[in-house]
Amino acid sequence: MSVATVISDWSAPNQERARTLLEAYPERRSAAMPLLYLASLEHGHLTPAAMAQVAELTGLTSAQVQSVASFYTMYKRDHVGRYLISVCTSISCFLMGADDVLEAIEEETGTPDGTTSSDGTFSVEHVECIGACGGAPAVQVNYELVEGVAPERGATLCRWLRESSPEVVVTDEMQKYFGGVRSFDWGITETVGAIAPVPAFGPYGSTGEESA
Amino acid sequence: MPEQPPPEMVTISLDGQEIEVPQGEYIIKAAEDQGTYIPRFCYHSRMKPVGLCRMCLVEVETPRGRILTTACNTPVAPEMIVDTESAVVQKAQEGILEFLLINHPLDCPVCDKGGECPLQDQTVAYGPGESRFVEEKRHFEKPIPLSDIVLMDRERCILCARCTRFSEEVSGDPLIEFVGRGNQTHVITFPDEPFASYFSGNTVQICPVGALTAKPYRFKARPWDLEAIESVSMVDASGASISIETSQNEVVRINGVDNDATNHGWLSDKDRFVFQAIHSENRLATPLIRDDAGDLQPASWGDALDRVADALGSVRGDEVASIGGANNTNEEAFALGKFLRTVVVTPHIDAQVGDALNPEFLAGVTPRAEIGDLDGAATILVWAGDLKEEFPTLFLRVRHAVTQMGAKLIVVHPRRTGLDNIAAEKITYRPGEGPEVVRKLTAQGDQDYGAVRDLLTAGPVIALVGLTGRAEDPRLAEAVAAYALGLPGSKVLPLARRANVFGALDMGLAPTLLPGRVPVKSESGRAELESHWGPLPGEAGLDTAGIIAGLAAGDLKALLLVGADPVRDGRNPDAVRAALDAAEFVVSLDMFLNDSNQQASVILPVDGFAETEGTVTNIEGRVQKVNRILPGPGQSRALWSILDELSSRMGGQLGAGDGPAIAKEIALVAPAYRSMTWDRLEWGPERDGVVMPDRDGVQELRFVPDDSGLRPTAGRLALHSGRVLYDGGTRNTQSPALAGLTPDPAVYLHPRDASALALADGQEVDVAGEFGTVRLRLELDPSLAEGSAYVPANLDSTWVLGVPDVVTVEAQSSKGKKNEKKKGKKKGAGE
Amino acid sequence: MAGFIGELLGPFKGFATVMRQAFKPRLTRSYPHEMRVKPQRFHGRHVLNRYPDGMEKCIGCELCAGVCPASCIYVRGQDNPVDAPVSPGERFGFVYEINLLRCIFCGLCVEACPTEAITMTQLFEFSVTDRADAIYTKDELLVQADGTPNHGQPDGPLIDLAELKLADGWMRATSPAGRADFEGVPAWTPSAGVGLRPAERGQSDVTESEEEEA
Repeated sequence: MSVATVISDWSAPNQERARTLLEAYPERRSAAMPLLYLASLEHGHLTPAAMAQVAELTGLTSAQVQSVASFYTMYKRDHVGRYLISVCTSISCFLMGADDVLEAIEEETGTPDGTTSSDGTFSVEHVECIGACGGAPAVQVNYELVEGVAPERGATLCRWLRESSPEVVVTDEMQKYFGGVRSFDWGITETVGAIAPVPAFGPYGSTGEESA
Repeated sequence: MPEQPPPEMVTISLDGQEIEVPQGEYIIKAAEDQGTYIPRFCYHSRMKPVGLCRMCLVEVETPRGRILTTACNTPVAPEMIVDTESAVVQKAQEGILEFLLINHPLDCPVCDKGGECPLQDQTVAYGPGESRFVEEKRHFEKPIPLSDIVLMDRERCILCARCTRFSEEVSGDPLIEFVGRGNQTHVITFPDEPFASYFSGNTVQICPVGALTAKPYRFKARPWDLEAIESVSMVDASGASISIETSQNEVVRINGVDNDATNHGWLSDKDRFVFQAIHSENRLATPLIRDDAGDLQPASWGDALDRVADALGSVRGDEVASIGGANNTNEEAFALGKFLRTVVVTPHIDAQVGDALNPEFLAGVTPRAEIGDLDGAATILVWAGDLKEEFPTLFLRVRHAVTQMGAKLIVVHPRRTGLDNIAAEKITYRPGEGPEVVRKLTAQGDQDYGAVRDLLTAGPVIALVGLTGRAEDPRLAEAVAAYALGLPGSKVLPLARRANVFGALDMGLAPTLLPGRVPVKSESGRAELESHWGPLPGEAGLDTAGIIAGLAAGDLKALLLVGADPVRDGRNPDAVRAALDAAEFVVSLDMFLNDSNQQASVILPVDGFAETEGTVTNIEGRVQKVNRILPGPGQSRALWSILDELSSRMGGQLGAGDGPAIAKEIALVAPAYRSMTWDRLEWGPERDGVVMPDRDGVQELRFVPDDSGLRPTAGRLALHSGRVLYDGGTRNTQSPALAGLTPDPAVYLHPRDASALALADGQEVDVAGEFGTVRLRLELDPSLAEGSAYVPANLDSTWVLGVPDVVTVEAQSSKGKKNEKKKGKKKGAGE
Repeated sequence: MAGFIGELLGPFKGFATVMRQAFKPRLTRSYPHEMRVKPQRFHGRHVLNRYPDGMEKCIGCELCAGVCPASCIYVRGQDNPVDAPVSPGERFGFVYEINLLRCIFCGLCVEACPTEAITMTQLFEFSVTDRADAIYTKDELLVQADGTPNHGQPDGPLIDLAELKLADGWMRATSPAGRADFEGVPAWTPSAGVGLRPAERGQSDVTESEEEEA
């Protein structure tokens, strides 16, 4: 069965990306994980139908695809809001008051940990270490990192997201207004933002454009 | 088994004792062969190790000191020092068990596994005694159905992955997998995609806890009140070893037994759950005689046997014929053959119904392969029915040979088969065009099938040869075998489906064969048998088709039906029914009423599977012992005892006093079975069965198949009438667990054929052939050869069609559309 | 001579014995008008208990049948109906029969029972006129909803209902593995009509509790 017939309901660029991914690996099943991200991007989250499509594309059974998708926490099988706010609660962030940050964000967004707000704007979750221990407590918005987020800044960040609802969230931009201490200043600017609550890899999750 | 070079041996120290073990063997296996049992949950000798459960931790000395390592996936190495009982190991085992029991509920009294549970047993043997865990255990909704047969209790699961590995590695349909991670990990199917595997029952058997249970056994009994006996599955002719387990004189379950030669311990769900038919309330329990008004009335055995003896005695011997006997033991088949040949004196005997291959080919093709040869084969050629549907346990062996042993597989079939996804090459041909395919494969320099022919140059080649569908000309199988035997190092495994059809043929239930694979036309063989039995009919008799024609023409007057249903299995159902009506006298010896014996004059209830003791012969010619654990229902009797009494009433002497007496006579008069005794099969190393002829056995018959110059015959829509595992056969319909699994009848067409006929998917169509018409739903099937129509054989309605060579498919008239039935679509795993 | 005198006094010795016994307390009772108090752990006829909410305790596990040395118990389990469960959990005792002609009243079934469903009462009068009547079925064995055992006899001097109320037998006072922490903790679930009872005394403080009793 051809790729086009399996995922005929996907957007044309995503269909093209799926084809590229399938060609990139000697074994079709190797493309399962990137395809799952692509399917998340396409459908907003991994619906059973999307998992079945990936299974069809990779020659796995739906049960096997579901197994992979449920093992990794960054594959979302439930609805995700427009902005996914991940608060790190691992040890460094915990010591620097991540619980308060989480609480402040929950209060501001009205979204308890692990749920999505009723208007679909926010999803709030606590996550394990996101590799920003030096800048603890750290928060991600659509997997774009903000470091040194004090509770009130976290709340402000959420308010900003709700009020100006940016198309693209960009690490550097958020860091500038809502962040605090950074782990290290490597001189690297992260100006390519994310457009959806799907991890960016290559161009698939992000806009690929420099923000202003 | 093929000759294999002896493995290189290495010396290791196990618990201070020096032992020699084959290089590369895993510690757990090496220790077990030596008599040291290392506890385990996830390790299974027929699957690849994963080292998941950590129960098999042992201490091994390494340059870095003694370390704990898993014995199930650590191969032995020269000079290795292994300790399985040290204090460290014991502490590790206690720790692992305490961890496993953190979330495992202690509901053993309710759990079906309680009493035979590896977790329970090993906790007693290696566990810490008490747990320090006082917190709440994890909870799931219990139990959830994974399929119509298998239930899952996720709380009890210890995540050993035996079931998921079985379904991926062995049966190749991974419909269950782990979901989630950490504490929430559990095994489940994809939503709305049930675990509809033909082999799902095996996961229940290998589950080391009670997480997977099968509906037919659920809460039926406890392990300590089970009585078990080993036997052989009578579902197909592959000879799968089983243990039949009963409680209070009722079979409650069947488990697979690891037989290296046949099934490796696996069974299909049909093998496993078909026992429910034994206790069906529709079993015949008293003899029935048709009264003057034409109704069947219960009668005494005396009256019934008198009636049969009178009727058979009142006609000439060669006016009597017999159909069936392929579902009985060798002893019963032998008694039947002797009864017919010496008491009735008729040559018209056939055990095969409808889908007959030449009996001489089935019994005498040489060199004949054994199932174990598959593991050593370089190339396997399967030109037969879909093994997954017809020989499920053999299917697993072929799968094993291809996926684990590196054999290359070639499948020739008119439609997709269960083996296609592991086949190196697949030839799809239109039914009837088989001879053309053989010719193309044989012809030098022909451009077609080049890849296939390249593969077939690598030997040894094992060819599994049978009929791909019932409409196929049986001579095609011989042509294929003739071609295959010309390939390098080739052997042929002839396939015929019915449980003991090979045994029945070997016992002489064929028009052209005498007991012990002796052709009727062999003067010396017949003379030898006559020295025991007295004069025998010298001519070959009629086969099933000939018998039906003879009855219709009035040449034959009386018919014995021995567990056969020629109406459903015959080529032309109406003609068979007319022939049965034309017969003066029909006696049926059967377990159930069926479409053929409804019209019989006398019906005698016989003991069946699990109720008779004897031997059976499988596709390889391997003889195995089947055992009796139950009495038959009501007044039913063993076939041989009925025949013995019938003989004395007819003034003959059958000498079939009991099973062992018949077995002794078989060893005496059947050359190929000369040294066969029950004792050999019951005790000692030959419990896996013995391939005949062995030791003193002689097989005079060396059948050399040849290409009989068959012409391709395909018409416009050639019929492919393939069998499905869960068909409308009596045993399926009488087993509640299996009855619901029968697929909805349908006709399958290639999309191009359908569009040429202007038919759409799902439409109700009329399928018409020479012998009948049936209304079926149309399904499109791109895997089907173009120009053919696939109608599954022997489903509820499809048998009416019979087996014509060609069919026409037409849209049904729009007026009839009103009574179109909406049926839920059931998905069989073979679909 | 002493022998001679002794012989003369012989008959009177007998009288002396009679006289002595005549003033001792009498042990013979006028059964059945007068009943003995039976020990609490008396091995009488079995009953099947219920939880206070009326659910049956028996889960049909067949352990009693498995352990019975006389093979007098026959149990069959069945799937518990979800909407009208008979016992807590997935399985319940669908058939329960004890052949009291075979039973040797050893009490192993009581020990084997994981839910204290089967216990022994003080009932011991069950003569029958038909062998089949000696097979007690679940209807007869199961206690009533309020915990009263079915005794099948007219209420009267033969039946001491107060005594039968305690028919759910004895309670384990220690953990099965003998851990001292569990001493005094009743490893026992209350039965209908009985309610919670204190645990029996443990094993390590025998002297102390004996003193208390005394």
